[in-house]
Amino acid sequence: MKKVLTVIRKEYLERVRSKAFIIGTLLGPIFMGALILGPALMADVAGDQDATVAVIDPSGEIMDTLREALVSRGDDHVALELMDCGPDQEACIEELKALVLSKEVDAGLVIDRDFYENPELVFYNTAVGAAVLKDEALRPALNQILREERFHRAGVPADQHGYILERSSWESRQLSAEADTEQNAEVGIIGGIFLVMMIYLMVLVYGQQNLTVVIEEKSSRMVEVLLSSLKPEQLMLGKVLGIGLAALTQVLVWTMAGIAVSAQGVSLGSAEINLSLFGPWLWVNFLVFFFLGYFLYATLYAGVGAMCNSAQDAQQFAGVLTMGLVIPIMLMMFAVRAPDAVSTTVLSLVPFFSPIIMLMRISVSNPPLWQVLLSWALMVLTIWWANKAAGKLFRAGILLYGSTPTWGSLVKAMKG
Amino acid sequence: MSPTSLTLPAVGEPLLTVAGLQKRYGAKLAVDDISLSIPRGSIYGFLGPNGAGKTTTIRCLMDIILPDAGSMSLAGQPLNRKLRDRIGYLPEERGLYRKMTCQDQLAYLAELKDVPRREALKRAEEWLERLGLSEYTKRKVDNLSKGMQQKLQFAATFIFEPDLVILDEVFSGLDPLNIELMRDLILEQREKGVTILFSTHMLAEAERICDSVCLIEGGVKILDGTLSEVREAFPFHLVKVAYKDGTEPPPDLPGVADRVLDEGTWRLAMEPGRDPQTLLAPLSDAGPLSLFAANRPTLNEIFLTAVHRQRDTTSTEGSAA
Repeated sequence: MKKVLTVIRKEYLERVRSKAFIIGTLLGPIFMGALILGPALMADVAGDQDATVAVIDPSGEIMDTLREALVSRGDDHVALELMDCGPDQEACIEELKALVLSKEVDAGLVIDRDFYENPELVFYNTAVGAAVLKDEALRPALNQILREERFHRAGVPADQHGYILERSSWESRQLSAEADTEQNAEVGIIGGIFLVMMIYLMVLVYGQQNLTVVIEEKSSRMVEVLLSSLKPEQLMLGKVLGIGLAALTQVLVWTMAGIAVSAQGVSLGSAEINLSLFGPWLWVNFLVFFFLGYFLYATLYAGVGAMCNSAQDAQQFAGVLTMGLVIPIMLMMFAVRAPDAVSTTVLSLVPFFSPIIMLMRISVSNPPLWQVLLSWALMVLTIWWANKAAGKLFRAGILLYGSTPTWGSLVKAMKG
Repeated sequence: MSPTSLTLPAVGEPLLTVAGLQKRYGAKLAVDDISLSIPRGSIYGFLGPNGAGKTTTIRCLMDIILPDAGSMSLAGQPLNRKLRDRIGYLPEERGLYRKMTCQDQLAYLAELKDVPRREALKRAEEWLERLGLSEYTKRKVDNLSKGMQQKLQFAATFIFEPDLVILDEVFSGLDPLNIELMRDLILEQREKGVTILFSTHMLAEAERICDSVCLIEGGVKILDGTLSEVREAFPFHLVKVAYKDGTEPPPDLPGVADRVLDEGTWRLAMEPGRDPQTLLAPLSDAGPLSLFAANRPTLNEIFLTAVHRQRDTTSTEGSAA
């Protein structure tokens, strides 16, 4: 055990003292913020771009009202251009299409002659991005015009409009039998995605470091000296734990920073992320799944590294491991929608998927305690197996200087 | 300091014994029933051509690969991980962590052999000073020349004060100056009572430094014993003869088993027990001699003879069966 500690200390200090680690720890939150805020900002930027829309308005009544409505809604970056149509509307539409196609205008809009009774519109565009223009600016403005005109025709006084249009106000709280905290369901989903993505990224980044480190150990010809001093299982345990502790350090620094920031009441965009809203049970599971997930994948990556002589060699095998992380990410939304379905339950118990699927279930629902504990136990068993298998790969890998491993040799070595 | 209470045998008594070691890779028997007995305080040559099974045997000794059969013991106790902390190993495939400082590097490897950290750091400093590398103590291994790195690897093998050290092809890739330096260090360690298992395919080198040897080929032990025992087992002489005018030695020389012409010099292998003196008269009668020399065979020649004998027996056995 003392030798394992020696290896842990070396790997941990080497990592924590490296420039890459310090920079990564500082820049991590910035990247993560960009990840969360980025799409919203992008949408804003795209929506606010100056755009010209060619309009066919046979009645001639809508055009000016629409322009006013756009200005009053703050969408004055959208310029409208009325098409000068003759009696032949079909020809006029063809002309409008040509304008859109030649990109002289950003989009085209055809308003029905009898818009207030028959609010059918045709929108022409070339780029998918123009949908933002339609959904964020034109549609709400035209809906507003339609509503006001219809209120007017129905004789509803102007001061009643707001009253009629008022929407129901919802607050969603999730009750749990185990913990007597009420949880906001949206926070559950957003928080769950946040935690799961954190596990995904950290396991991927730090897990793969084990692959690199082991290959380096082989290419620097250190591995044989080391294995004469300690068992391959001990060497691997030390490496995996040392690197894992560095990952944990980084996560803890970020969490502290997150708690400090959320205590200041800073809100990120529209979604206010308040870390204290996650119950302690979720935090416990985050840490457990973070640790077990990292441990499992890191051990497997290390085992693969032991059989390979170069990063290129390792790619095909590492790719399969990475799939084990990507698949649950793809199935994650399924777990959000049906957290307690049989299929979700089964998936969440597969050790390779548990860190993502089970954690997602816990954050949006309350899976039975036995299922959570079972998934922990299965993961621990799998890690134990992986450590043994990787130890055998280490012994076999020593003899493989220079030769490229195959799936066959990998399986043979694991049976050892 | 040593955490293990290992009672070493007297000098000259067996320290490491291996019995019936066997290792198979697929269909190939890499090590076939090898038994060794390495006396304490000796430099024991573990010899054989490339691929003879030397490294496989050593890896089994160090628990890097698992043998299929056989037993190994150190000072009478079956080898385990704890006892292996008393054995130093410098593999043929050896390197260093390039980004670590020299002191950390040595201390780390010492710690992995159960030396407490503080003590390991102190010894690392001492070793660096002894090797004239003091100024590199806090510098990264990257800054060292290749020769210096080899010194460092050597230091790492001895820093935890082992009872037995296994050196695998330790001179390969070294220049003559460094070979000289390493040889001095090895002899110095032997003086301190360290037993050394010296594995190499360079027999001339082994002959200069070893007290005892073991020759293996094709995974099989061919002969072993102290250097003088081995020589006595092959008491034949080798006579080198050359003529000024290129005359051939007479065909019917008494007691000559074999003759080979090698770059103008005839090498005559005598049957065991025959006196080379008896050849001088018939040879000088045949023509003007430019060379007549009778030598004890070198280890190399003994080895080649032994291998040929072994192969002859196996092939006759094979054809008989």
